[in-house]
Amino acid sequence: MSYGGHDDHHHDHQHSHWGPHDWDHGHGGAPHNSWAPIMIAFGSSLFLLGFTKVFTQTWDDEADLWTYAIHSSQIGLLIAGLAIFSAGITVFWRQDWSHSGSFEPKAVGTPFRTIDIRKVAIWMFLMSEMMVFSSLFSTYIRYRTGFDNCVSLFESSIEPGSTVVLEAGQQCWLPASYFIAEGGYHQANAHAALGFMPDTLIPGAINTFALIVSSYTIVLALKTAKDTTLSDAERNSKVGKYLSITLFLATLFLTFKLIEWFVGFEIGDKGDWYHFYAPSLSADHFTIHESEYTYCHLYDEAAHACTPGNEAIFDIRMSASTFYVTTGTHGVHVFGGMVALAYMVLKAFRGGYTPQNAVSIEYFGLYWHFVDLVWVLVFPAFYLY
Amino acid sequence: MGEHGHHTILGFDRYAFNFWVLMIFTAIEVVAVALTFSMKGTVSMNTVVFILVAVGIVKGVGIAAIFMHLQGDPDSRVLTATALFPVFFIVVMVLFIGLTHPDAADTLPAWCRPGYYN
Repeated sequence: MSYGGHDDHHHDHQHSHWGPHDWDHGHGGAPHNSWAPIMIAFGSSLFLLGFTKVFTQTWDDEADLWTYAIHSSQIGLLIAGLAIFSAGITVFWRQDWSHSGSFEPKAVGTPFRTIDIRKVAIWMFLMSEMMVFSSLFSTYIRYRTGFDNCVSLFESSIEPGSTVVLEAGQQCWLPASYFIAEGGYHQANAHAALGFMPDTLIPGAINTFALIVSSYTIVLALKTAKDTTLSDAERNSKVGKYLSITLFLATLFLTFKLIEWFVGFEIGDKGDWYHFYAPSLSADHFTIHESEYTYCHLYDEAAHACTPGNEAIFDIRMSASTFYVTTGTHGVHVFGGMVALAYMVLKAFRGGYTPQNAVSIEYFGLYWHFVDLVWVLVFPAFYLY
Repeated sequence: MGEHGHHTILGFDRYAFNFWVLMIFTAIEVVAVALTFSMKGTVSMNTVVFILVAVGIVKGVGIAAIFMHLQGDPDSRVLTATALFPVFFIVVMVLFIGLTHPDAADTLPAWCRPGYYN
């Protein structure tokens, strides 16, 4: 391994696409190509294709419902994709681990001439990511604007002279914020003893702040790695700590997300001044299977039941699917960032980032800021509105 | 996050400045929504949407321009153009798909509807 060296590139490299030091410095400055990106992309494609083959949903005419199935016979494609993806990651890891920062190839074509080729590549990758999330947001906008809001639908049905007739299982849009920002106020015990702050909004709000702080800590890691006034030991320690904090915040984000989806939490007992209750979204029946969600327009706190005449049964699968697919895709990106961060923490504490070799943090930072940027849109669209 | 990121804004380190702006604006959007629900009916939903969109724009620009260094670096211009390139497709997608009616697909010919495999 060669960390921090600048002059070894004329002597210490192997002409291999797979292993360490395959950064070619002897052919007019042009680097060898790496197989890692194409392997990772191909592996991901196969994995996702296999995923759609293994997990399927079909409409059962006789039972009049959707059935969900796992086709284990198709799992080979999924495993093959995962294997190729892992091999690509391994190739990348071996090359990056030994990269000293002594040679950073530049793009030669217009309009990216003289810009680091890896920087151009990460921006190309982010462009494709923009398209992924844009398709999810256009789906959200389409359904959000196209379906009647369940609450409005119910309210219009009880107005005098209204012509709306509610049918059991009628499809409508019940936004995630109904459960999150309003704390499921229609549910028993849902009001917190925290005054005005709705319960279930807390994890999402903490997550938002966590991502912003993590965006800042990754910037600090880069600044510290470039700081020539620090000793090597001091720099390694500081960079490692900033990256560790970023990893911790990313872990916190995903933990809160899982709590919000599946676990929920309750602190104290009902009646305590500090009583804090946040049911999970699944406990609130906000799921992709919920074709017959019992909507309560007016909850009777004393009777612990819905006020008679204020109930309706709605199909809310579309709003739930849109929410889980969008926030889930974002969560997968956070998880990918966590894997990369775990590797970077290890590399940092072993002296892998120096003033001459800090751009990897910069490129990861671009990805991480993008993940933060997407959350800036997801949070108000799904959690607040 | 580039080589030339040592500028200041109003005398503060630009990254620290941006960080605190993001924190404050996030607090504003959370509190705005919390207050909206605690004072149900007193603040219109349009006002809330306006606040969320305005805050979202400020935060998005802050992250892209300063943290992602689309402002202030020699290569910022070309990278900003690169970042904005998909916007054309996004606009097409949002306008022609996002804002169509959900049932619009039902009026399409059978051969371009989901489930047509013959």
